[in-house]
Amino acid sequence: MIKKALCALPLALALVSTTSTAKAPEDILDELAAKSKSPYLTQSPQNRMMMPDNPAYDIAAEGEQLFKQKRGPKNASLEQCDFGKGPGVLKGAYVELPRYFSDTGKVMDFESRLVYCMKTLQGYTDNDPQIRQRHGNTDIMKLTTYIAMQSNGMPWNPPMNHPLEKAMRDAGEELFYRRAGPMDFNCATCHTNPSGTRIRASVLPNIKIPEEWTKAISWPAYRVGHEAVRSSQHRVLECLWQMRYPNLKPDSDVNIALISFWTDRARGQPAILPDMKR
Amino acid sequence: MLHKTPISAAVAAATLTLFTAGCTATGQVQPKATEAPAQVDYTKMKPQELAEYLVFQSGSYDLAQPTQEGTTGKDRLTQDELQKVCSQVARSGKEIDDKTAERINKMAMATIKYPEGGIKLGDWRKGRDIAWSGFGFRTAHNPDDHNRGTPGGNCYNCHQLAADRTGGTIGPSLTGYGKIRGSSPEMLKYAYEVIYNPHAYFACTQMPRSGAKGLLTQQQILDVMAYLFDPASPVNK
Repeated sequence: MIKKALCALPLALALVSTTSTAKAPEDILDELAAKSKSPYLTQSPQNRMMMPDNPAYDIAAEGEQLFKQKRGPKNASLEQCDFGKGPGVLKGAYVELPRYFSDTGKVMDFESRLVYCMKTLQGYTDNDPQIRQRHGNTDIMKLTTYIAMQSNGMPWNPPMNHPLEKAMRDAGEELFYRRAGPMDFNCATCHTNPSGTRIRASVLPNIKIPEEWTKAISWPAYRVGHEAVRSSQHRVLECLWQMRYPNLKPDSDVNIALISFWTDRARGQPAILPDMKR
Repeated sequence: MLHKTPISAAVAAATLTLFTAGCTATGQVQPKATEAPAQVDYTKMKPQELAEYLVFQSGSYDLAQPTQEGTTGKDRLTQDELQKVCSQVARSGKEIDDKTAERINKMAMATIKYPEGGIKLGDWRKGRDIAWSGFGFRTAHNPDDHNRGTPGGNCYNCHQLAADRTGGTIGPSLTGYGKIRGSSPEMLKYAYEVIYNPHAYFACTQMPRSGAKGLLTQQQILDVMAYLFDPASPVNK
């Protein structure tokens, strides 16, 4: 329903839109693929075809309503949330995370910052389902999809001005190469192989090939096999599950350090938001 | 193609205009004196030191999580000597040097235990199931229940084996393995050792130590070997 309503909106709206939406996510992907000839970027023509009708758009529309709605014990919207570019500024905020926030004294990724705002502005606590339920058709995923989309096509540019931002990125790099678990896996096991290397039938992205890596880290993405939009933290968790590592807590510093490093490695490449993945 | 994104962008643009007045030029807010003091100063630690702190002391992982082998999440994350050395090799981005490789080879060879009855090929059909299966030892948010299935070998994830299933390409193709190499006692011993602990020959390989880490039993290894060597196996067709 929402989708149809949105489609019916006049084209005039498109004309006032700014550069972030000049290219649709599928156009960004096509340009990256043409430039790099990467098998990772072209492995799924089916997904590519579905991108204009990405179910993530419907989820984002719900997220927009949630963002503006007065909710929670404090009956407030999220419109005053500061994602690093000032209260309420969403455009370009997502591609400049993780970053240091002086109000918490911490480097925070997008999700931990969203949760911080839901707690401080709206009064939710860890026990509330709005905070507790992270993955699936949740408030957090709806909000994430809506907010991330405001950075579509913009280059990843996490700030490295504060010493903590550098410290977290550099620790993330160590974690990326740290082998552990019963199978001796690190992130590099799957993400430093020559372009085109497959795990079973799936082509893996290489962190050293920026055109591949920007798609790899372009979350939220609708995962066709999961029938859900997934987040960066969900990707970390699923990798760790395959790696036979123990459970990782949401918003934890290991999450944030890994995401800091991986975002830094896509620096300058355009974000595909929302993406569609297998 | 542009029919959905512009609306949100227009909203974002409007929001931007409303709120830019309160922002600094860079969007970076200066640290305040009132900020809560961190318990430890991450900026005073070397990257590797901080990484270890994050793994074991930041509360990130569920270190008490039980594992299928009866240990804990903490044990899973605690590196042995080989993992430490090979992490540094991976981190350096360079090839392993000969001296380190030799040390790893020796260390790995010393872990190998051989079947009491000698190395005899098992059942290739069972081996095929093991080679295909990626079940077992996963924990995190969705632990594998080993009462509901036997852990597999994950071979297909990285290797092409028989032509009937698409395998990965992280490792070399093993299609026609026995047909090409024959099945002399030396060849069988070598294959057993490589599956048991591949670092005996390939120092700091990405391949798991299936025997040395207890991921596969000796009998399972012999079954996988049958899949590789038996002339009747689809691998050799």
